[in-house]
Amino acid sequence: MAQATLVRPAASDTTERVERLQTTFRYIMYVVVTVFLFTPFLMTVLSSFKTSAEVIAYPPTILPSEWHPENYVQVFIANPNFFRQVFNGLVVTLLLVGLNLFFCSLVAYAFARLEFPGRNVLFAIMLGTMVIPSWVTLVPKYVLIQNLGLINTFGALLVQSYITPFGIFLMAQFFRSVPRELEEAAIVDGLGWFGVFWKIVLPVARPALLALGILAFKDHWNSYFDWLIYMQTPEMFNIQLGLAAFRGVYQNQWDLIMAGSVIAILPILILYVLGQRYFVRGVATTGLK
Amino acid sequence: MAVAVAGRRRGGVRASEARAGVVFVLPYLVFFLVMQAGALLLAFWFSLHRYDLLALENPFRGLANYTRLPENEDFKIALSNTAYYAVVVTILQTAFALVMAVLLDARIRGRGFFRSTWYTPSIASTVVISMIFLWIYHPTGLLNSVLSLLGTPVQHNWLQDTRTALPALMGLNVWTTAPTFMIVFLAGLQDIPRSIYEAAEVDGAGPMRRFFSITIPLLRPIIFLVVALGIIGTFQVFDQISIMTQGGPLKSTLTVAYLIYQNVFRDEGQVGVACAMAFALGVIIYILTMLSRRYLDAKIDY
Repeated sequence: MAQATLVRPAASDTTERVERLQTTFRYIMYVVVTVFLFTPFLMTVLSSFKTSAEVIAYPPTILPSEWHPENYVQVFIANPNFFRQVFNGLVVTLLLVGLNLFFCSLVAYAFARLEFPGRNVLFAIMLGTMVIPSWVTLVPKYVLIQNLGLINTFGALLVQSYITPFGIFLMAQFFRSVPRELEEAAIVDGLGWFGVFWKIVLPVARPALLALGILAFKDHWNSYFDWLIYMQTPEMFNIQLGLAAFRGVYQNQWDLIMAGSVIAILPILILYVLGQRYFVRGVATTGLK
Repeated sequence: MAVAVAGRRRGGVRASEARAGVVFVLPYLVFFLVMQAGALLLAFWFSLHRYDLLALENPFRGLANYTRLPENEDFKIALSNTAYYAVVVTILQTAFALVMAVLLDARIRGRGFFRSTWYTPSIASTVVISMIFLWIYHPTGLLNSVLSLLGTPVQHNWLQDTRTALPALMGLNVWTTAPTFMIVFLAGLQDIPRSIYEAAEVDGAGPMRRFFSITIPLLRPIIFLVVALGIIGTFQVFDQISIMTQGGPLKSTLTVAYLIYQNVFRDEGQVGVACAMAFALGVIIYILTMLSRRYLDAKIDY
């Protein structure tokens, strides 16, 4: 009896010490990973307040030796289309988010809930198309958009991105998890199928719509490739393409490149801070993006 | 009588449901027929011709655009660069994502904060990331500054050296995509019952043993998903190359996607060849995805 009481505290002492060691190790790893992943962003923000020479000075500085907030004005003067490009990106992004939310959830509702001939085959085909490289369909899409007279217009972006298989998949996953009772009552009440979708199903789907909306906003705001292919004049660029084009001309204007980068990432960062659990949910439920 | 009426009503609901289903799915059906299936067929038709977006005549060439690919020097360089890039990036991003997810999968203070900060690289655009890494890889940029802390000053021009340009782009890619896949792994980890770990702990299995004997086997379907998405993404890498290196120096960062772009939009008359390259790329991606499925997603017995 006496022996047992003697042994016990010693044993729990070592496990406690091991546990404390593991926790310490964990926190060291946390700090290492955080520094590794976050320092570039921090340095970008700090660099955007330095002079161009100081951004690439050797030895480097961390804080600006002198703060130059006027870089954020300069960037709009050096690239006269910059404001227009921010605006373009915002308009197309918001339009596409609206179109994606409506069309993806409508189609997903049909796939998840309504019996119609060919439903399962079409859904399987849709999942299959996600593996096709966008490079295969690039030229025909370009030719089509050219023939529609949509080159260098926002229409070029709207006709090919108004719906996304990813969005349909995300919404369908959600609709499958919602109980049917609500809809059945509404159908008996004589609300048509669209009425059921619009008045009963969509309001319940708010969390999924938010997740899709936020991910779609991120994708469309960050879009570079489609704008590069279909837009030809700087006043029709978005800020991503505008920033890349600006850097192509002013390779050594590091202060302005950094300030432009901060502006280009700011809307997404704000959205992320406000709705990060929706970001995470969207990525986690589909495994995509 | 009542049964018959109910039956008819049920039938009416069925028919209206089918009609609604078809109508609701139309927006995707149009997208599929035009932007996916139609585009795919048209791309194949282009690949059989010497096609020029501006020319009036585009002679039929049969499969020549395909059979000549193995002699195309640029395509060979691009394919070997792309394969090297894809293998390294897919392996590293999967490994880092898994380790990061395991680190975060603990009841520990500040977990939410770390998860949010770690995910940040994944929300930035490829253009912004490219701008940041142009600076990091600059001769007096962040990377050389950090390396200089170790001793002698380093002023290596990472993106202008044929040996380091492609690895530099790989680093950028791993840095941005590992956090995305971390979230996917984290969701998978949360589905593994705690009781399995607890039982293993009672049996005396240490953290390493638990990771290799429980976590990895149970995560295999997720590992397959991450590897497949990695293959699909890395084989199509374009943005960073078009912004940072334009395939240079000396084609050391030329990838298949960038070569297709050049053929379509820079060299006139190469559209047919570009389409053939795109199909070849699609077939390679498909085969590798299936292979990884065979090795990773196989059924496991306990």
